[in-house]
Amino acid sequence: MTESKIYFKFDGKKYAGNEGDTIAAALLRNNVRLIGRSFKYHRPRGIYTCGIEEPNALVQIINEHNEPNVRATVKKIYEGMIVKSQNRWPSLKTDLGSINNILSPIFSAGFYYKTFMGPKGFWKNVYEPLIRRTAGLGKPPKEFKSKSIHQHHNVEVIIVGGGLSGLLAARKFAGTNYDVLLVEREDALGGVLKNADKIKSINDQPTDEWLEKTERLIRNSNNIKTLKNTLVTTYNFSDHLIALEDKNVGKPQDNEKPELVLHKIRTNHTILANGHIERFITFRNNDLPGVMLAASFEKYLNRYGVVPDESPVVFTNNSSTYSLLKSLTDLGHKPKAYIDIRDQKNIEKETVELLEKFSIPFYPKSEIEGCEGQKEVKKVSIRTKKNQITKIKTSMLCVSGGFNPDIHLFTQSKGLLKWDKDHLTFKPDRIFQKTITLGSVSGNFSYEKLLVEVEKKLSEFEGLNELEVKFELNGPEKFQIKELWETKHEKKSLWSKSFIDLQNDVTTKDLRQAVNEGFNRIEHLKRFTTNSMGTDQGKISSINALGIVSKILKKDISEVGTTTYRPPYSPVNFSAIAGRSTYEFYDPERKTPLHSWHVKQNAVFENVGQWKRPWYFKKSEDETMHQSVQREAEQVRKTAGILDGSTLGKIEIKGKDALTFVNLMYTNSFTKMKPKTGRYALMLGEDGMVKDDGIVCKINDQHFIVTTTTGNAASVLAHMEEYAQTEWPNLNVYMNSITEQFATFNLSGPKSRVIMSRVFNDIDFSNDQFPFMSFDNFKYLDTEIRILRASFTGELGYEIYVPPSHALKLWQKFFIYSRDFDLVPYGTETMHLLRAEKGYIIVGQDTDGTVTPIDLHLNWMIGKKKKDFIGKRSLTRSDIVRENRKQLVGLVPIDKTLGIEEGQHVIEHKDLSLPIKDPVDMLGHVTSSYFSPNLNHSVAMALIRSGKRKIGSRLFVSTENLNTIAVEVVEPNFIDPKNERMML
Amino acid sequence: MFTIRCPYCGERDQSEFSNGGEAHVARPKDPEQISDREWSEYVFIRANPKGIYYERWVHTHGCKKWFNAVRNTSTDEILKVYKMGETPPPLKEFKNTIKTPSGEPDVGSGNFSVKKP
Ligand SMILES: [Zn+2]
Repeated sequence: MTESKIYFKFDGKKYAGNEGDTIAAALLRNNVRLIGRSFKYHRPRGIYTCGIEEPNALVQIINEHNEPNVRATVKKIYEGMIVKSQNRWPSLKTDLGSINNILSPIFSAGFYYKTFMGPKGFWKNVYEPLIRRTAGLGKPPKEFKSKSIHQHHNVEVIIVGGGLSGLLAARKFAGTNYDVLLVEREDALGGVLKNADKIKSINDQPTDEWLEKTERLIRNSNNIKTLKNTLVTTYNFSDHLIALEDKNVGKPQDNEKPELVLHKIRTNHTILANGHIERFITFRNNDLPGVMLAASFEKYLNRYGVVPDESPVVFTNNSSTYSLLKSLTDLGHKPKAYIDIRDQKNIEKETVELLEKFSIPFYPKSEIEGCEGQKEVKKVSIRTKKNQITKIKTSMLCVSGGFNPDIHLFTQSKGLLKWDKDHLTFKPDRIFQKTITLGSVSGNFSYEKLLVEVEKKLSEFEGLNELEVKFELNGPEKFQIKELWETKHEKKSLWSKSFIDLQNDVTTKDLRQAVNEGFNRIEHLKRFTTNSMGTDQGKISSINALGIVSKILKKDISEVGTTTYRPPYSPVNFSAIAGRSTYEFYDPERKTPLHSWHVKQNAVFENVGQWKRPWYFKKSEDETMHQSVQREAEQVRKTAGILDGSTLGKIEIKGKDALTFVNLMYTNSFTKMKPKTGRYALMLGEDGMVKDDGIVCKINDQHFIVTTTTGNAASVLAHMEEYAQTEWPNLNVYMNSITEQFATFNLSGPKSRVIMSRVFNDIDFSNDQFPFMSFDNFKYLDTEIRILRASFTGELGYEIYVPPSHALKLWQKFFIYSRDFDLVPYGTETMHLLRAEKGYIIVGQDTDGTVTPIDLHLNWMIGKKKKDFIGKRSLTRSDIVRENRKQLVGLVPIDKTLGIEEGQHVIEHKDLSLPIKDPVDMLGHVTSSYFSPNLNHSVAMALIRSGKRKIGSRLFVSTENLNTIAVEVVEPNFIDPKNERMML
Repeated sequence: MFTIRCPYCGERDQSEFSNGGEAHVARPKDPEQISDREWSEYVFIRANPKGIYYERWVHTHGCKKWFNAVRNTSTDEILKVYKMGETPPPLKEFKNTIKTPSGEPDVGSGNFSVKKP
């Protein structure tokens, strides 16, 4: 046979494989057995299985993604692929970490938990560096852009698994009116028909022919869509499944196309036909390279045409290994020995005949005691029925410990399991959703019963096809098994270990120790030992662990129960979950109509919610942030500054009952407020805590416009809608967000009136005509603008609302008309500084959802005569009127050269006692702190216990270096305490 | 990830909706006339049953309308949706109130995957 070879590299060495080979198949083809080192003890590990259940053979693919922890038994090779082993340092063959194997007593069950509790510093200085260098799995990619996509499906029936059972179901549905999705994780349909030689013929045809016909039938029916290379990972509530499709099987990464597709499937009926998983048996050194599961060995023979070993020893507790013997002898190879723990009289005659025919050494009622070898199996040690130890030289041992229905998805769906005494495994019992299990996943290991099962379980569907299928089998039809989880081992040395979890290096000794230490519940035991907590989730071993634990606890296995199976079935790449939601697609970016101007003026942007807001403007390349902010803040109070406030939320409220509604939503009273005036207003939650602040503008009693903080725009509108729809549906009121309908400029500073008069030379901005907190609409060019006189900074100020289409021109006009004043554009940082100088709070910085208006000394904003508003009743609750609540104060350092840090603690005493014996009494913390260029010292605000009473006293603020600085507690209003500047 | 039938838009994915907690907790008519305890109960205390629960939802990424739903919290099955202001369906309309996967007690976790013998 001349097949084109595919060349790839493993740990720097070049190998050739066949098309369709997995990495594992190709390495076995080249006689490579040592694939990696184990997680904790760094023991040599090889290829244990031939599929998704692989615990050992995890490798790193070196490509754009640097994909770690790739199962060599799943990932297919492609030309030029670069594969590296994991967990070895400096090299796979001479791994220094294997010293852990000798140090193993300290790495036993609960090691991590116990070590954390060790002497102070021991973890940080001794264990952590050691573990970080030598443990862990592969290395994650540093940076990477996902090209994965998500796809949605709505179907009537999903068939999970395109093996024999799934194909029989698909044949029933082919060409009917049902909308069906068939999902297969391998690149070809067929399952067991491809993996083993158990079925001789179907309808007197070779199985290949039947498979081909079935595939054609499915392809030609227009009601079944087939997804190959697609693994169902998740079975949620509400018949919602998630499947991961690999688009790059056997191909290098294509930079133009999605590499993974995450399918989100809603279905009416779920048919699970996802088969079974072979389990292992624990014996001494059952982890050595050369030990492989029997059905996996058979799969390499049948599916890949690879003979992992020509004369392996076979060890079993069940009847399934007959077909392995047959496959090998059909190829002209002869197993070195056959070891079966069952009595000879219980071993099926087909097996016995075959062993005799090829004179294969036969050990009935015997078991493998252990394996010998340094880097791979050299000898196996057999305990014969006479309880004697015999050793046989071999390089491979095939093990079958029985089969588990692959119940992971079934239990994710919340279906219930029960213990099957005949097959010694858990199988589905009661369904919780519209789930049907077919074939071995349902615990049915008989091909003859399969046809009956399919007909019976699909009888609820009308109009399906009749199945005309007849099997002829190779070998025994009935599955037989004898219980065996672990064999007794003879040799006791530090190097000899019997593993129950190969990936996490958990031994059966660890299980015993954990039970001895009191962890007798299976969920606790799992976490304490980390058994079945690896990326393979103990697929070949978790039931064995239950078997062993139930024996230790002398309980029935169904009483011990299983641990909870949680999605995903197998690890899902983050890139698939992220899909296109990465980088610029992660979240929408919102930009104001002035954004391009800000960019040209060297604005440094800050993210506020989804908005990009200028944080500060760099006047020159080498200007630091501090310099920019100081310059901007000084200029505002000297002449004038302008801020892009377009991001502030704006909500229009209309309706006959608008006044009543606004009165209920805010603390202030708006009843007597004159039309065309605004008011600084507070919004509370029903718990009395400050939720938002803004300016409420009254056009008339039926029409208001309110502003919100940038970050709360959506939640304030939602809050209003909630009350309007649920508490007061009788009120006639409508709300609408008009945030993006207007750009907003905040002009501030002593020169702002002059500037306004120049820009709008037909408007009279005198105090008489345009007093503080008044607003009006004006014609501007072909549109209308609204001007409000308000102060964000404590200076004389105006807010201009202009349609976005006219915003940039008008903004530029402000600069043209104010050259002699050096009008400064300023960003959010300067805005915060200017507000802090005045003691104006920033909701979300100086408040945190536990602060009431009384705590902020904003009692004047509460409409005392109002009968009700949201949060009003809470303001008289005993806890809210408590005097020693944390209250807002100002802080000024005694030594004016010192700065105060935000977030630091405010305390009563100078000394921080260290080490901590007497805890220092924390009075509160610093919420805002800035260096004021206008006062030439730091100003800070803090929330401290009984703050009001502490005004005038001296307290201390902690520093990063565990020192303290002395501060004076003052009223939180540092500049212009009489508020004269804004009334200018 | 269940679906919810919005009474205005029809069946949509759960991710389009936000949960608004227990339904039919009326805001006291005259808050000033009730005790601190009564008010606190309105503000802070909500039922958290395993089984049938009357709760509020809002179609946040849709019509933005609030509505009520009856959900079985043990299965996440939405048994009924009805508009704000409509009379809640009586509890007896919903049989088999607590249906948990493993038939474990009414109070406690559902983390058992093996049927109790
Ligand atoms: Zn809706």
